[in-house]
Amino acid sequence: MQAPLAPRGIALVLSGLASLGKGLWITFSAMFRKSITVSYPEKRVVLPLRFRGRLVMPIDPDKGDNRCTACMRCVKVCPNHSIDIDKASGPDGKPLSKPASYRYNLGTCIFCNLCVETCPFFAIVMSDEHELATADPSRLVIDLAAEKYRLQGKKGSWWQKKFRGTGEEA
Amino acid sequence: METFLYKLFYDTGALIDGWHAAANAAGAARGWPPLVVDILFQLGWAVAAALFLALNALFIIWFERKVAAKMQLRRGPNRVGPFGLLQTLADTGKLLIKEDIIPTAADRPVFRAAPFVVLAATVLLFVVLPFGKGLIPADLNIGVVYFLAISGISVIGILSGGWASNNKYSLMGGMRSAAQIVSYEVPGVLVVLSVAMLAGSLKMGDIVRAQPSYGYALLQPVGFILFLIASNAEINRGPFDLPEADSELVSGFVTEYSAMRFAFFFLAEYTNLFLAGAFATTLFLGGWRGPLLPPVVWFLLKSYIVVFVLIWIRWTFPRLRVDHLMEFSWKVLLPLALLNLLVTAVLVKVL
Repeated sequence: MQAPLAPRGIALVLSGLASLGKGLWITFSAMFRKSITVSYPEKRVVLPLRFRGRLVMPIDPDKGDNRCTACMRCVKVCPNHSIDIDKASGPDGKPLSKPASYRYNLGTCIFCNLCVETCPFFAIVMSDEHELATADPSRLVIDLAAEKYRLQGKKGSWWQKKFRGTGEEA
Repeated sequence: METFLYKLFYDTGALIDGWHAAANAAGAARGWPPLVVDILFQLGWAVAAALFLALNALFIIWFERKVAAKMQLRRGPNRVGPFGLLQTLADTGKLLIKEDIIPTAADRPVFRAAPFVVLAATVLLFVVLPFGKGLIPADLNIGVVYFLAISGISVIGILSGGWASNNKYSLMGGMRSAAQIVSYEVPGVLVVLSVAMLAGSLKMGDIVRAQPSYGYALLQPVGFILFLIASNAEINRGPFDLPEADSELVSGFVTEYSAMRFAFFFLAEYTNLFLAGAFATTLFLGGWRGPLLPPVVWFLLKSYIVVFVLIWIRWTFPRLRVDHLMEFSWKVLLPLALLNLLVTAVLVKVL
């Protein structure tokens, strides 16, 4: 049998008031908890290995050069044509499997990582660089082949492990 | 010197009366009519009130942002000045140099006047606010009635601002504000009435003096809570901020306002927040009375504690639905306020 209307209503009101108190307690106790904000310019977080900053084409220390073969897969996969490659040609005029220039347009790049995923030679990788604002639009198009970027630190060894590897994908 | 400082902090009223008498005497010596001297003297109060209004808004906006940030595990303003205290100043500077946009189809004179009506209504309330012993611009016989009546004027500004914007969201915000203030004024006034019954006076100073040292909040616990709810609704804040409900009405009656006109609405809103705290302090928390510390300090301390509670409530509870808001006022608050009034009346007669 259900309780009569009046006691049920009173119980409802009381439980409602209790829930209000609970809410107030949550916000009040939150005031004494540590803030989760990182005061950015002064303090920085340690970026995860897979962080997607701007694209770079690092120098492979074993080879002394980048690993790109100008196969154009990244150009084809890029959803907004941010990559443009000129193939290098040898002294006899025949094209070489090397890029003469690898123009990466930072202004249109959406950091989707598709070019990195599709590259069969692990020639390109997304770096930690994320403070990319510039007042000069011409600086947004970067020739990655001419840049001769050196990927160091943890990310560098993580990248090298991919192609040196133990036969399995890192 | 010491006696002057003592008077300045603990017996400000006597000091100011002395100045008033001196001013009157000086005026009489030059043959000025007493009315002129009085007007000049009142101008001093007006300047003091305007100064306090600005500083209070500066502080209270920073305080609210800081409290809100703490409750959401953020840091809040911390760039401009120590602890971000000057953030509001920077924001005001920005608003000052912004373009003042008036919509083409707006009712220009009404649109221009609305923010000033709202602000004027809040400035006028300082006339009866007892900051300390005798530190009250004019202790009217009907101070409480004056406070309630003038605070009701701001709704005219809000409604005309919403109407003059010629924008459906603004109009809806203004209408909601009017409906809300009319509904919540009723239980609010009934609670104030029971306090007036206890004190036996409508004079702000008398109500403060008539209270026991622990204030009327303990004698009128239900009344105190009802009053806080009603005043929170009247100043259009927190779970009752339907007039500017951003998720439905863009920004309610301030949607079309920009630059300094917007800043004036904002200033009025935060001054109203302080006034709600100050009025609650005067009626329920013993006003400026308290041990040791100067009356002004006690008054501000108590007011800001009430303000903190209102901020706390705002950042805790979600917004009500319009029909719930009305039902809550007419079906819950009003009967409770009437019951509270009845019990108070009986007890005042019996005891």
